[in-house]
Amino acid sequence: MNEEPFLDELRAAFEQIDPVPKDVMAAGRSALGWREPNADLAELTDEQNRELAGARSTSGMRLLRFSAPGHTVEVEISGAGQDLALTGRLAPATVADVRLRHPNSAEQSARADETGRFALTAVPEGLVSLVFHLPDASCVVTSWIRL
Amino acid sequence: MPQPRTEEPGTVARPRVEGAGDVPRGGARVSPGSDVADVESGELVVRARLGDSAAWGLLVDRHAPLLWAIARSCGLDDADCGDVVQTTWLRLVERIDVVRDPQAVPQWLAVTARREAVLLAGRRGREAPADPLCFTDVPRPITRNGVSGAYRFVSGTEDTALAREQIGRVGEALRTLPRRCQNLLRMLALAHSYSELAAALDIPVGSIGSARTRCLAQLRRRLAT
Repeated sequence: MNEEPFLDELRAAFEQIDPVPKDVMAAGRSALGWREPNADLAELTDEQNRELAGARSTSGMRLLRFSAPGHTVEVEISGAGQDLALTGRLAPATVADVRLRHPNSAEQSARADETGRFALTAVPEGLVSLVFHLPDASCVVTSWIRL
Repeated sequence: MPQPRTEEPGTVARPRVEGAGDVPRGGARVSPGSDVADVESGELVVRARLGDSAAWGLLVDRHAPLLWAIARSCGLDDADCGDVVQTTWLRLVERIDVVRDPQAVPQWLAVTARREAVLLAGRRGREAPADPLCFTDVPRPITRNGVSGAYRFVSGTEDTALAREQIGRVGEALRTLPRRCQNLLRMLALAHSYSELAAALDIPVGSIGSARTRCLAQLRRRLAT
């Protein structure tokens, strides 16, 4: 038998019971605006969680490593809640302008020094991605991670 | 803890589908009157890559309901489901320029949403789902608008009282089904291909048929009584 009308009914029932909220649809439609077409994507290739001795399990430290062709980014995340600290290192070492993208709060910026090190503080939890603008006009962007 | 690397769209193995190809049902469900309504999702990805935000919007409209359903099937609340869906879109955006097989994007979206939902569910400290299908038996988010069976109905011009009554009947019957069947039927109704459905449910394409038959039969029995 033709199930198509029945599936239409099912779909309609679920749309009534548990619709996708309008703001979720709107955020999805505007997600293309986060594209960095000229950047090299640095993908998350390693993650380690370290508990701090004597600390509550929620206040450990995360070590993330992202790799792009020709570049790696190491990031250390500590703190909790809306007051996270990110310290990291871009390799090969170079100065760079660093932008922290955060869909739900204002963008933050920092400067990587000649050793490639940078630090960001008072970072709220949620999804973030780092963008590095290098002196040679190239650009590296990390994959989105959830803090 | 090693972090699973997010595969690039197009590197996901595409399960083979026997029989009449990859599309179990008719064309994509999109609003009529749109020029790009009949364009398949792979082509929408290619257009979005060229900066066509309308194509991107259509891709989102077409696939967001399944991504939402996947997140819901992992027992997440509204905020977390929204987070999973948005993370999935951002992951596609970040690699949209390097997608090798745009046709595989719908399946990749489902795989990615599942992975994000499982990770977030774990992070929320909920019990790890004993069931690999991620069908956790958490408080019934699926009925949050109708805890006592009082579903909300939005009346539209084409929404006849009869249609609303029928949807209400289906909704009531769905509520009495086991959660696994609720999720399977929901995703069956939303997926555009068997490969997308298999990714959403995280089961082999080959085992969809029997599960689908069983759940549809259960629903029909309840509707008949």
